[in-house]
Amino acid sequence: MEKEFSVVGQRLPMVDAAAKVTGAAQFTDDLVFPGMLYGKILRSPLPHAKILNVDVSKAARLPGVKGVVTGAEIPDRQYGIVPKARDEYALAKGKVRYIGDEVAAVCAIDPEIAEEAIDLIEVDYEELPAVFDPLDAIKEGAPIIHEGVANNTSFAIRKEFGDVEKAFSESYLVSEDRFYSQAVNHAPMEPHAAVAQYDPIRGEMVLWSSTQIPFFLRRNLSATLKIPESSVRVIKPKVGGGFGQKIDMFAKDFCAAWFAMKTGRPVKFVYERDEVFIATRQRHPMYLTVKTGMSKDGMILAQQFLAHADGGAYNSTAPTMMALSCFFLMVPYRVPNLLYEGYHVYTNKPVGGAMRGHGIPQARFAVERQLDMMAERLNLDPADVRFKNSIKAGEPHPGGFVINTCGFADSVQEAAKAIGWREKRGKLPFGRGVGLGGASFPSGVTNMSHISSGAVVQVGRDGAVNVLSGAADIGQGAETVIAQIVAEELGVPYEAVRVTAADTGITPLDPGTFGSGVTVRAGNAARIAAQSVKKKLFECIADELEANPEDLVARDGKIFVTGSPDISIPFGQAIKTYQYKDLPMPLVGRASWMADTKEPTTLFNEPGNFSPNYSFMTQAAEVEVDTTTGKVKVLKMVTAHDCGRPINPMLVEGQLEGSIAGGMGQALYENVIVENGQVMNPSFLDYGFPTALEVPEMETIDIETDDPVGPFGAKEAGEGTQLSPAPAIVNAIYDAIGVNFNELPVTPEKILKALQEKKQAESS
Amino acid sequence: MRLPKFEYRQPESMKEACEILLDEPSARVLAGGTDLLVNMKHRVETPTTVVNLKGVAGQSYVRKDNGALRIGALTPLKHVYRDPFVAEKLPALAAAASSVGSYHHQTMGTIGGNLCQQTRCKYFNQSKWWRSSRPLCFKAGGDLCHVAKKERVCYSTYCGDVAPALLVLDAEVVLSAKDGSRQVPLESMYSGEGKMPLQIERGEILTEVVIPASSANAFSTYKKFANRGSIDFPIVGAAFWTSTATGQSRIALTAVDRKPVRARQLEEFMRGKPLGQDCLEAVDGLVTKEARLMKSSIDSLSFKRKLMGLLVKESIKEAMGGR
Amino acid sequence: MKHGIELSVNGDLYEVLVAPNQTLLEVLRDKLGLMGTKRGCDVGACGACTVLLDGEAYLSCVMLAMDAVGKKIVTIEGLAENGTLHPLQDSFVRLGGLQCGFCTPGIIMTAKAVLDEEPHPTEASLKKKMAGNLCRCTGYTKVIEAVMDVAKRTGGQD
Repeated sequence: MEKEFSVVGQRLPMVDAAAKVTGAAQFTDDLVFPGMLYGKILRSPLPHAKILNVDVSKAARLPGVKGVVTGAEIPDRQYGIVPKARDEYALAKGKVRYIGDEVAAVCAIDPEIAEEAIDLIEVDYEELPAVFDPLDAIKEGAPIIHEGVANNTSFAIRKEFGDVEKAFSESYLVSEDRFYSQAVNHAPMEPHAAVAQYDPIRGEMVLWSSTQIPFFLRRNLSATLKIPESSVRVIKPKVGGGFGQKIDMFAKDFCAAWFAMKTGRPVKFVYERDEVFIATRQRHPMYLTVKTGMSKDGMILAQQFLAHADGGAYNSTAPTMMALSCFFLMVPYRVPNLLYEGYHVYTNKPVGGAMRGHGIPQARFAVERQLDMMAERLNLDPADVRFKNSIKAGEPHPGGFVINTCGFADSVQEAAKAIGWREKRGKLPFGRGVGLGGASFPSGVTNMSHISSGAVVQVGRDGAVNVLSGAADIGQGAETVIAQIVAEELGVPYEAVRVTAADTGITPLDPGTFGSGVTVRAGNAARIAAQSVKKKLFECIADELEANPEDLVARDGKIFVTGSPDISIPFGQAIKTYQYKDLPMPLVGRASWMADTKEPTTLFNEPGNFSPNYSFMTQAAEVEVDTTTGKVKVLKMVTAHDCGRPINPMLVEGQLEGSIAGGMGQALYENVIVENGQVMNPSFLDYGFPTALEVPEMETIDIETDDPVGPFGAKEAGEGTQLSPAPAIVNAIYDAIGVNFNELPVTPEKILKALQEKKQAESS
Repeated sequence: MRLPKFEYRQPESMKEACEILLDEPSARVLAGGTDLLVNMKHRVETPTTVVNLKGVAGQSYVRKDNGALRIGALTPLKHVYRDPFVAEKLPALAAAASSVGSYHHQTMGTIGGNLCQQTRCKYFNQSKWWRSSRPLCFKAGGDLCHVAKKERVCYSTYCGDVAPALLVLDAEVVLSAKDGSRQVPLESMYSGEGKMPLQIERGEILTEVVIPASSANAFSTYKKFANRGSIDFPIVGAAFWTSTATGQSRIALTAVDRKPVRARQLEEFMRGKPLGQDCLEAVDGLVTKEARLMKSSIDSLSFKRKLMGLLVKESIKEAMGGR
Repeated sequence: MKHGIELSVNGDLYEVLVAPNQTLLEVLRDKLGLMGTKRGCDVGACGACTVLLDGEAYLSCVMLAMDAVGKKIVTIEGLAENGTLHPLQDSFVRLGGLQCGFCTPGIIMTAKAVLDEEPHPTEASLKKKMAGNLCRCTGYTKVIEAVMDVAKRTGGQD
């Protein structure tokens, strides 16, 4: 049978793979400009303090120092990734709120002098009482971290539908359980960096930054520097991983720009590894109480949630994170009655932000764990419970989501089959077990109004295709996917398409790599732009082929009449024809695309659709617990995954495999340990995310659906699979040793302790 | 993070190196660099002079000498564990050397450097800025120990992998000075003081490790517990050596005190006894006797204590199975 | 005081003036403009800065530049010959052994050192030796596949 597509669905190498393997790929820290200065930031050593005085005179006098700035000098403009949650200054004004808060910055002719200068800045602090746990921070009398924010609760959200109380009273089994997810650091391999250059005549700022959202960075920079958005150009070089940590603007961006303006020279800031750990973002620690009512046969009748997220010192994405955490409790299972109460609470600790899954991994862990515990009490198979509670495409959704395609039920079956569920669950020798976890994720999250993507597709005289896109490739392969989509649409080879991406001075508006929306959003924009090119071309050459433009097809480098592939014109010939007819060149198509969805925070009071489409997946883990040392070895992880139609299965697998390692880190290895507000393990050595030796064998099963909204039927593939590995692993640990762990991470120490307690309980 | 400024010296002989050390009290010797340079970046070690020993020829070797095994201090760890004699006859050493850090560390790091590795502490192995949240600790040049919350003590922990293996192999080390050298038991090289963990005279350099012939024909192993299979320092490491011929066993642990420690009370208990249930049951009670565990890392003490027993029991069981 | 030294990098001799406290990584990047070698942690715990010294995998962030005198240094820029990718580079491209690419140069250099000394490693041996190279994107699966693929192809055995 003829395959449906030529480029889409192919395992093609990334567009920039060759540059990356030869060392030619340029990341922000690889950029060097003549006369460039090097910046460094002074950070607070105290968790909560008033800044009484900052004396920079010694630093300013150090030979080679070209600039010093403190919070007192910068404009009184707060910034933040979510417009209604702005609460941060690029450099602290009057008060520091966590160990790592930015106090001052310097720039100098070389990094060594900048480091020396930082040491010469003298700061007088008046230490204030600090609070480190959200459950303490909400108490009356707790230290106030932001003036005017009562109980340190910056966002309190509530969502309700159905009648939870009634449903509980009708339930056969009601279980209330408490869960905790720890702080996890994104730990991208590339430390955060920025380089700024300023044109004093035109008043134009150019900033190269390791950012996931160039357009939002432009907006935040413009606001905080008090210069027009049109005067700021943000260019995204190669970005060495982000996972959500590079969504926000940081002091390095602002300070590089500030010094570039003040000195007239290019200025570079690169964070040290401990700055990345302490002073960027982390996954929110979260306490979650879940009360679920089930019928005797395991149908979920109602769920009630109480969540307290430890936000650290600032909001970052707070309301969006809480919204995601809440709304993605409504998929992949049908929850007919729901009540969610969630609180985002400030503490004097590192700042929580978006991290792969964004508020959902914590909630998913709780739900998937509780589902297993309840299934056992009902004497039901957890795989069956997942299967029968699965939402279905086309059914009315209790929260108002529009689910056009849903492979969840299939994914439960396929994952269970591949791990050997029926043969293994409850039947393996002590110490070995299997577990499941399910999840769903949106393809894109609206961040206030910031949700549309644009694209421009141009075809040059030689038939080469250039795509301008604002999509931010941070390593996941956004540019590759866009190139494949455009190549497929125009019927040209993948190699013929070049993508110019993420330069706010050149490329159209895009919400960046945020909420896993790139493929659907930027992909649709690029596809429609390509269709517009194709339409013009078809109209021009239809006569030559003696056909109607509507009957033409572009495929494999040729344009032909539907059903008669022999009557064709090569693409290059068609472009020549277009030129010879004196039609204007270059041949250009433009498009803007926006999802028909609601902004998340508006959905608290009314039902509505969250995302253009939804990915679904089940992951199945097999683990071996060393009952002597308490170590858990994840032997295998199966992912059965509905991401619509994968544009590039190799990249999709890469996303899955990376998120399995990440989810495994969350389950077993990773934890940002804080002692009185100070991060005790801010290094790759002490933080210890998994190496090649820890990761399991991985198997991917594609549950293909053809989504009507996504380009070529695609849905998200980058974040969803980060949600289910942790519960799958912890559920498998239960199967292995019969202990329920409801707090992450599950360390060898906890396992040994639990085994000991179990032994004592059994013998008594 | 830039390195602090220092004067660089690359002597061509050990004698010359020793002389530099005598002249420059705060000089430090550089071998593989994977420990010293990190500490220098963190500004917890700021020597005025760095003496690179790698210019001294002939310091990297593993050779037999009248039954004893002599290993040059600058021998990379990789060469140590790949030596056929070490691999076959001294499995504890092979296991320990091949468990250090990552493959890169085993390539760059030397056996001498590993033995002289700085003690570690969660308040010490941090950047200068990080440490500015609290008063300078005693080891870094201040007065207070944040682990003990006392003045003028230091409870940083020795975390080297190779030392416990060499302790159970009864190794000696050659300390060379300007005018000669002395050979001392490895154990005596460790002071047990966190602040100055090595008992080496000024102007002395560790140049050779000597393992007696008697250590080779017996069972030995090194077991390391760390979170990951690579890169990490041990949370606890334990070496075990036992000889059927003499009925003698030796046990040493790392990451449990300011120095690598021998579990002598346990050894004493086991002396002459066949390895069996008796010995296994005695382990938990006795293995921790000589170690002074302090909370200098992010790992809990009760877990470390548990691991000490576990690793030693596993080693004994392995020895029992091997007979 | 700065020292004039000669470094042999990718087959070329460079005369550079370096301060004793400059690491090999800093000199490669800041003096020689060889930006392919990356700084991930700066303390020898991630492998992103791996280069070859006389054929062996070294962490250039914890190595003094002065200490590299007399050694043959090879960086990621020195791997492709006459514009043709090294088999490892080719394999990583084809099999998707990379995502963001930041750890990739270090990973490929380590893989080269490993295969040069052990042309046909078992997967277990390869993982053990590659475990010092952290990657946060790939979950390592395709990284290991890419290296094993080269081992198979160049050895004529399966």
